[in-house]
Amino acid sequence: MKTERCRDWRESLGAYALGHLAAPERAALEAHLEGCPDCREEVKALSGVAVLLPHADPERFAAPAPQPPADLGERIAATVAAEGKRDLGRRKRRRFQLAFGGVAATAAVAALLTLVVLPGSGETTPEQQVQFASLPSGVAIDATLEPHSFGTEIHMYVSGIRSGTLCRVFLRGADGSRYPAGSFRYRWGEDSVAVLSSALDLSRTEAIGVHAGNRTFIAPVDQATVSVENETKEDAT
Amino acid sequence: MATGALSRERDVREAYAAHSGELYGFALRSLDDAGLAEEAVQETFLRAWRAGERFDPEIGSLRTWLFAILRNVVIDLGRARSVRPKVAESGIEPSVEPLDEALLSWQVEEAMRRIGDDHRRVLVETYYRGRPYAEVAAELGVPEGTVKSRVYYGLRALRVVLEEMGYED
Ligand SMILES: [Zn+2]
Repeated sequence: MKTERCRDWRESLGAYALGHLAAPERAALEAHLEGCPDCREEVKALSGVAVLLPHADPERFAAPAPQPPADLGERIAATVAAEGKRDLGRRKRRRFQLAFGGVAATAAVAALLTLVVLPGSGETTPEQQVQFASLPSGVAIDATLEPHSFGTEIHMYVSGIRSGTLCRVFLRGADGSRYPAGSFRYRWGEDSVAVLSSALDLSRTEAIGVHAGNRTFIAPVDQATVSVENETKEDAT
Repeated sequence: MATGALSRERDVREAYAAHSGELYGFALRSLDDAGLAEEAVQETFLRAWRAGERFDPEIGSLRTWLFAILRNVVIDLGRARSVRPKVAESGIEPSVEPLDEALLSWQVEEAMRRIGDDHRRVLVETYYRGRPYAEVAAELGVPEGTVKSRVYYGLRALRVVLEEMGYED
């Protein structure tokens, strides 16, 4: 029940929940709590919050909330738009993949994948097609890189590796630093074209890499036909 | 947003505008790496988009759904990172508890940012710095009773904000 005394006590309940009241005041408040279910209920609610305080670091919340890079939203929107456009083509490709599903499902990742870069079909398009060749039977990996104002859009096609394998894709710039392009999990029987994007400009992209399982495969991005093994760096000219 | 909340490209933009800040904040808190956090947010929206038809607003909010996806993405990225010898030599997969702790910490810190400056100030001084109420009152030029009442209303505000953020105790 609410009494006049509640009003007097109410604003001490926060300090009480934090264990900040001196002994005499605490004893007096506890005497009130014994006869006041309303205030007890309030203490319970405040204590539920008080126990959370140690989880927060005052140094962190003193700083403003970190914000994602300004262009991230555009990159995501562009990737989504591209993925929407490609839906039809993707379905076609999937039918093709299912025809060879038996082979794909039994193949494992090769110890070493040899990557061969082939020129794009149309030499005039700025699009880069990167094909991973000399793979064990049933395994296929290739990628198409398209230049955009936000960076580079990557369509990566994978099939035949162990289901559930997490594939993380990145681009490597001319300066050698890596730009994350996103990740996807390969699943048997599911659509396996991943649409990813990176902030790195295609013209400044030296190589594309994929981590699959605990392996990293890197292919240079250039016009020449080049073979690379695993993570060895190559001059793509 | 109606059923199939992320089935149109415009919906993804709206969802990004509404939730990307929070998602990025949590990703950064748990991954402690700006590049990975960015990757996690991107991956979250792409997974949400691909599964957009499966989102059911009857079951939970879009925000809750996005956070559930992000949580999985963070686990995936944490595992991927743990196989790199630099980070984890033992090769033991990161357990889920540190992630839940990171989520809780992020929620409380974010809630702290959202309550009023006066309320946050007294909680910092009395709780985190353990200073006497009288000293804080003198510094702020207010009666001690005011500090006490700000502590009370500060905790209440924190509770409301946490509830808005979906925290359940
Ligand atoms: Zn009472």
